[in-house]
Amino acid sequence: MSAASSGSDKRVEVVLIYQSLLGIYGDRGNATVLMKRLAWRGYDPVLHVVEPGDPLPETGDVYLLGGGEDAAQISAVKALKQDGSIYRAVDRGAAVFAVCAGYQILGNTFTIGDDDTVTEGLGLLDVTTRRGPARAVGELLGRWIDHSGEEQWITGFENHGGYTTLGPDAKPVTQVEVGIGNDGTGFDGAQNGTVLAIYPHGPALARNPALADHVLELALGTTLPPIDRPEITELRRQRIAAARS
Amino acid sequence: MLVAGDETAARRGMGDNSAMPLPETALAPLDVPGSRPRLAPVPRIRLAAATTAGRLAARASRLAGRGTGTAIQGQVMLKADPQALAKLLHGRRIAMVSGTNGKTTTTHLLAASVGAALVDRGWGGPERIVHNADGANLHGGIASALSKKPGADIAILETDERVVADVVRLGRPEVLVLLNFSRDQLDRHHEIKALARAWRNALISAGDEGPIVVANADEPLVVWAAKEAKQTVWVDTASTWLQDAVLCPQCGGTLLRIEGEFGKTWRCRDCELAEPTADYRVLGDKISTPDGSLHDPRLQLPGKFNISNAACALAAAGVLGIDPDVAIAGMQTVTSPAGRFGTAHFGSTTARLLLAKNPAGWAEALPLVATDTVILAIDSAAADGRDVSWLWDVEYEQLAGRRVIATGPRAQDLAVRLAYAGVDHVCLPDLGQAVVGHTEPVDIVATYTPFQRLRKMGGLA
Ligand SMILES: [Zn+2]
Repeated sequence: MSAASSGSDKRVEVVLIYQSLLGIYGDRGNATVLMKRLAWRGYDPVLHVVEPGDPLPETGDVYLLGGGEDAAQISAVKALKQDGSIYRAVDRGAAVFAVCAGYQILGNTFTIGDDDTVTEGLGLLDVTTRRGPARAVGELLGRWIDHSGEEQWITGFENHGGYTTLGPDAKPVTQVEVGIGNDGTGFDGAQNGTVLAIYPHGPALARNPALADHVLELALGTTLPPIDRPEITELRRQRIAAARS
Repeated sequence: MLVAGDETAARRGMGDNSAMPLPETALAPLDVPGSRPRLAPVPRIRLAAATTAGRLAARASRLAGRGTGTAIQGQVMLKADPQALAKLLHGRRIAMVSGTNGKTTTTHLLAASVGAALVDRGWGGPERIVHNADGANLHGGIASALSKKPGADIAILETDERVVADVVRLGRPEVLVLLNFSRDQLDRHHEIKALARAWRNALISAGDEGPIVVANADEPLVVWAAKEAKQTVWVDTASTWLQDAVLCPQCGGTLLRIEGEFGKTWRCRDCELAEPTADYRVLGDKISTPDGSLHDPRLQLPGKFNISNAACALAAAGVLGIDPDVAIAGMQTVTSPAGRFGTAHFGSTTARLLLAKNPAGWAEALPLVATDTVILAIDSAAADGRDVSWLWDVEYEQLAGRRVIATGPRAQDLAVRLAYAGVDHVCLPDLGQAVVGHTEPVDIVATYTPFQRLRKMGGLA
């Protein structure tokens, strides 16, 4: 359990990676959500906002990647490979949660630009991304089975031109009811161990508290008590209804 | 015959201004009245029919209670005559303003400057100016505004970012103000750089026939587009919103922010792109002009960003040959451009309306909030952007301690954001319910669609 290494078992370090490159649309919200959910439970969360050129902390518990434009994706991959810390983080069992373009760069390869240049990703998820037949833009609704075997709905907004195919070492996160997801064949996201990514972009965890807690549980290796926030329950009801309408 | 498809001939048709003695700026300044031919006497039968069709549609729309009908009127007109916009632009002297935030206000400030200059010189006044004052800034809205004042020979046009290239091509404006670029409605504009590229290409193809560009030197994307203009007037707007400009638009390299003589400046680490030396500068609440003199705009509009808008309008007025003091006197008459910052009344409630369309706009608007109770109205109609992820890029945390009412169709999304921001709030999705019954004045910050509804409900439109 990585939190123990920091000296206090209540201290949890959240690392928000390259907001300037991968923070295109509210992605920092995932950090806001994780920090607050930890604080609500009496943890002592610490947020590291890391920009390219600065080293990623070696003690992070959760690493977050957001969405970004093509050029930003290339820069982010380059900087993360140079830094190397994210590989060590995964090796020691820290959680990585990515959305949208952040999901694509975790994979083996993805394409960018009008000429679909194939670019190497971080290789932390066994997925490949290529330009799809039509841009996927709209509400996404997917069925997710949490660790206790309970069925949950993941609701979000997807906006991506790349379509992602999973290799044998990645398993999809949700079964898509509404939306395109990975490639329009019925699934969204990919997970391998503590590395988890989905297409719903921006502050995806804001609408999906169970998934937020799942990411924290992956990082901490414990089960967290549920939190009841009626405004989130109501938002989920509205968004699930909107996706289905 | 003048048709948009034969633009070169149309240009030549405007002809005789080549014989005019031109000033050093190669511009016929405003103080030569009628320096360009008025609306040319070209076959206008189809246009007239299109205009009539548009008016009927607008009236039908108004009767049906669907707003002023301006945009619909223009759409119908353009359907009846696809060349209507080109014809309506032809023969007018045009100044246009674009950018993500501030274009309505800046266009109002510029129009007021030009009006003041005309009056000052005794060459008429606002009747010579056509201005899409209601903020309808797509093809249809612009065409509609122009059709209502066929005799006005000066057009001051707010232009949507996506329409800039067309108006530059069809209207050959004399001055184009490029304010800023920030993330807005990503469900429609997938990459803001693509918009900047369209501006840049429009300026490259226009070449010497293109406008003089007044551009915000603080914004790398704007600079990258504007430096292709035949001539550029740079404005240091003292912008503080930097989240949307990180990579060099020219080479993809890293942009460095460095401390300069006038505060922060930027340059690319990997190529020569850098913040240009400004001709006009925002210095606190004052504006310096190229001759080094300092002007105090003392606007009736609040906020630092409106000083930046005024600086850009002042620079554009300068291109048109208007004296800064005259321009500023005009700007000081502007109180509530298209309802912004206006005071609305809902029953016994008195409310100030602030528009915020995207995170950069919210970053400007929230610090202006001055009331204990504040109403925030959120929608995700097409004009607002269907995706409200941007709520998480706004620092609502700064509202802690105030009574916040979340309203509008996406009030619940805001309620969750406020919960995570630790801001006490109530959620009343119905706008009417949210705005009534306040005994003290309230500030309302709204996205586009609820803003327009509140304007009407509150007697401001
Ligand atoms: Zn560069």
